[in-house]
Amino acid sequence: MGNLVLQVENARAYYIVENNYVRAIDDVSISIREGEVVGIVGESGSGKTTLSNVMLVNIKKPLSLIDGKVKLYLNGSIIELNKLPREELQRNIWGKETSIIPQSAMNALMPTKRIKDSILDVMKTHFDEIHENEIIDKAQTRFEEIGVSKDAIFRYPFELSGGMRQRAVIAVATLLNPRFLIADEPTSALDVSTQKMVLKTIQNLREKGIVKSIAFITHDIATVRQIAETLVVMYAGKIVEISSIEEIIREPLHPYTKGLLFSVVTPEPEVKERGIYHIPGTPPNLMYPPPGCRFHPRCEYKLDICEREEPQLKVVNNRKVACFLY
Amino acid sequence: MPILEVNNLTKIYESGMIIRRYIEAVKNVSFSIEEGEIVSLVGESGSGKTTTANIILRFLKPTSGEVIVDGRDIWKDINTFEDLKEYRKKVHAVFQDPFSSYNSFYPVDRVLYQALELLGKNPKASESKDLIEESLVSVGLEPKHILGKYPHQLSGGEKQRLMIARCWLIRPKLIIADEPVSMIDASTRGGIIKLFEKLREEEKTSILFITHDMGLAYYISDKILIMYLGEIVEQGTPEEIISNPKHEYTKNLIESIPTLYKKWS
Amino acid sequence: MKGYALRPFLKYVSRKFIFLLVTYFIAITIVFILPRAIPGNPLSTLLRQIFQQGQANPELIRSVHKTLMEEFGLGKPWYEQYIDFITRAFKGDLGTSISSYPKKTLDLIAPVMPWTLILLIPSIITAWIIGNTLGAIAGFKRGSFTDKFTLNFSLIVSQIPYYWLGMLLIFTLSVKLHIFPGQGGYSQGTIPAFTLKFILDMLYHYILPFLSIVISALGGWAIGTRVLVIYELDADYVNFGELLGLKEKTVFSYIFRNSILPQVTGLALSLGGALGGALITEIIFNYPGTGYLLFRALSTLDYPLIQGIFIILIGSVYLANFLVDFVYALIDPRIRLGQSEGS
Ligand SMILES: Nc1ncnc2c1ncn2[C@@H]1O[C@H](COP(=O)(O)OP(=O)(O)OP(=O)(O)O)[C@@H](O)[C@H]1O
Ligand SMILES: Nc1ncnc2c1ncn2[C@@H]1O[C@H](COP(=O)(O)OP(=O)(O)O)[C@@H](O)[C@H]1O
Ligand code: SF4
Ligand SMILES: [Mg+2]
Ligand SMILES: [Mg+2]
Repeated sequence: MGNLVLQVENARAYYIVENNYVRAIDDVSISIREGEVVGIVGESGSGKTTLSNVMLVNIKKPLSLIDGKVKLYLNGSIIELNKLPREELQRNIWGKETSIIPQSAMNALMPTKRIKDSILDVMKTHFDEIHENEIIDKAQTRFEEIGVSKDAIFRYPFELSGGMRQRAVIAVATLLNPRFLIADEPTSALDVSTQKMVLKTIQNLREKGIVKSIAFITHDIATVRQIAETLVVMYAGKIVEISSIEEIIREPLHPYTKGLLFSVVTPEPEVKERGIYHIPGTPPNLMYPPPGCRFHPRCEYKLDICEREEPQLKVVNNRKVACFLY
Repeated sequence: MPILEVNNLTKIYESGMIIRRYIEAVKNVSFSIEEGEIVSLVGESGSGKTTTANIILRFLKPTSGEVIVDGRDIWKDINTFEDLKEYRKKVHAVFQDPFSSYNSFYPVDRVLYQALELLGKNPKASESKDLIEESLVSVGLEPKHILGKYPHQLSGGEKQRLMIARCWLIRPKLIIADEPVSMIDASTRGGIIKLFEKLREEEKTSILFITHDMGLAYYISDKILIMYLGEIVEQGTPEEIISNPKHEYTKNLIESIPTLYKKWS
Repeated sequence: MKGYALRPFLKYVSRKFIFLLVTYFIAITIVFILPRAIPGNPLSTLLRQIFQQGQANPELIRSVHKTLMEEFGLGKPWYEQYIDFITRAFKGDLGTSISSYPKKTLDLIAPVMPWTLILLIPSIITAWIIGNTLGAIAGFKRGSFTDKFTLNFSLIVSQIPYYWLGMLLIFTLSVKLHIFPGQGGYSQGTIPAFTLKFILDMLYHYILPFLSIVISALGGWAIGTRVLVIYELDADYVNFGELLGLKEKTVFSYIFRNSILPQVTGLALSLGGALGGALITEIIFNYPGTGYLLFRALSTLDYPLIQGIFIILIGSVYLANFLVDFVYALIDPRIRLGQSEGS
């Protein structure tokens, strides 16, 4: 296994609203290693986007990092990102060491500037002296590597189609070859044929060494399975299972993972055979999460203890799962 | 006799005040649905699915072509208000956005009372109350958790179930479901899909299931229509379409769908 | 500009033009109706004047009355008056004034128009620039002291009626402190001329009416822009930009640029309101502009003059509106290049 790149330790990140907490990330730990693509799945509202903000330490009102550490491993030293002021993150970390393809990539580029001008702005922030032509040449090369015509950088974002815009955002996000890239539902808003191209693009980023590690966030297991090796399953602000994706598909351990996996429908005979499944009920309101295991109101395997005590992630046959059944 | 027959349907949208632009959203589309059949209309965004649905629902007038429901041409043979009411009992819609079907100022019960009125039943009668509770139970909702609530107090899945409860009251012969589950989390989607299957089993309801999700279409339908740029480029049983696609577009589409049990090469 | 972009742009401009033409037509129709809805006979004022000059011959009065009725077309049925009015208006003939008979309406309006424009245009633009900048800074520093101060100041200032602020300025800076003159467009006794002395004198008189318009208009801009900026703070491109390391300064310039764009259209829309305010300001400051002339025309029920002033004022607001929108279309690429159809 590769060296550690980024590590989140026991993070709690709550949104503070109306004198109450939305416990969007509650005691979550996650490690990202060099050369790895980690998939993060969960229903909408399970805390995926919040987790991506925690990994970057993009903590803005009303979000607040209550507890926990975020460590970046850089040339043999460890930087505790959560201790750095925002200006320093902006100057030295964001865009350079860590970067993101945001969930709403469609509107992520400055709408009233040509893409090349947005790129130049980013470069001007990170370098005291820049040579415009050189940067434009480099950016054009990157655009072509990613499968967008190099003329696209002279366009306004709205002049590009959805898939092109998505890839332009990928190109801009990786201009400085960040070591760690988060992709937050990069394909969810796209048609399937465009989806595949974008997925290939992201895969290529790692193969070409443009980025070292990727966290790929999605609600669709079939999509993430094409690209990730490790899968992290989130439910109601907590990680319920971590395992290699092959093993999860072969045998999901956590009841929620099972439900999620069996509700996926793809045009495959296996799916028609096993039938279509659904998890009863709805995810909890994270302002008032249920006591004990957060999944217990929807779980068919529920034990008495599940209502009272919280299961911790523990190692079962080289996999990690948080459930009293194991 | 098929319950729905669509012949050479074409819809051209016109736009622009000074310089006219024409968009051929639906081009010469023909297909039919038999009693108790579930037919999926699959295509990417902008391919003309919703436009087709809106014409069949009589919300939009076609540029040319005919729609025949139960032997009657819906654009020629429906002339009176009574005819239209009959038609609304026969053909019912379930939409993508479960929000849009509700008025946020009224309790959600209203959508069920409206259905009763369409049937000519007095919503106040005690028999009506029983009917409503029965319909809620058949879509897996607890009447006392639902009745009297306002739209924002229900989840998307619950609202969509409620729309299907309406189908249980009206028992239409044909349901036009336009992306009924695309705004619903995957983990609860299956439950809604099963409700459509149950309607078909128990009531012999025919369903036009509109979706961009080939997996769902493959799972639920007897027949799949592939729509591309306003045209139906291919149709067949799910197995035919998946294992032996003929049209280039279909081939490309199927290759692009991420599969769960096999990883792409 | 590329060829493909031209079509939507032309379409946009021509559509806008037709829209303005139609509404202008409606507006002048209203202008035609309104003075006629005021009770009273305009000729009676004029006749009384002639009467008071001692020419009390009833014969003469009747014949004068008859000629005037014909001249102004007041005896004809309303629809003939209307058609007459419209055709003449399109030919640029705004008729003859009743109260200053036999002077042409246009000749009365032409000399006062520049005064109004000189007062109006710089003050509106100044208010727009200051207001928007204040609002943008407040919005960007949401919740800070600067924000709270700007917001409260703007709220108070924008609630003060034009005339009240005008009178307040006259009372303090002119009557009490004698810093600025509170009356007229130039010193009494001087004759308008292109000399340095006159121009300085004019500027001296200009300051108070100018300030009163700027101050009362900037609050509204500041409040509006503040909200637009706050709305923009959460925009996806702002978050993305920050996560790429963009400096606060750059992010502010992005936000400023995008939230100011809708305010350009706002500027067009507000011209009408600003004009009304300028008319009142002119009356308060006894400023020799269109507002003052209109005030006189209204008090003598001089239909042609009222109509003439309104036609020209509404016409210039529409023209400005059209130009501003045209400028907007040019500076916002989403409109210039025609935001692609679809979603
Ligand atoms: N009212 C309208 N005026 C003009 N064009 C329209 C209108 N409604 C739809 N269109 C165009 O017609 C085409 C088909 O649209 P339609 O809504 O039927 O697609 P769809 O297959 O339902 O797509 P989606 O999957 O995004 O819902 C598109 O090009 C769309 O832009
Ligand atoms: N700005 C916010 N203010 C308050 N609560 C929020 C905010 N953003 C997200 N949340 C809440 O935090 C939880 C997790 O949200 P999110 O991280 O966006 O989930 P996901 O990305 O998995 O859909 C949800 O309950 C959501 O409602
Ligand atoms: S801990 Fe209990 S309730 Fe939670 S998932 Fe496991 S069995 Fe179900
Ligand atoms: Mg999210
Ligand atoms: Mg649609």
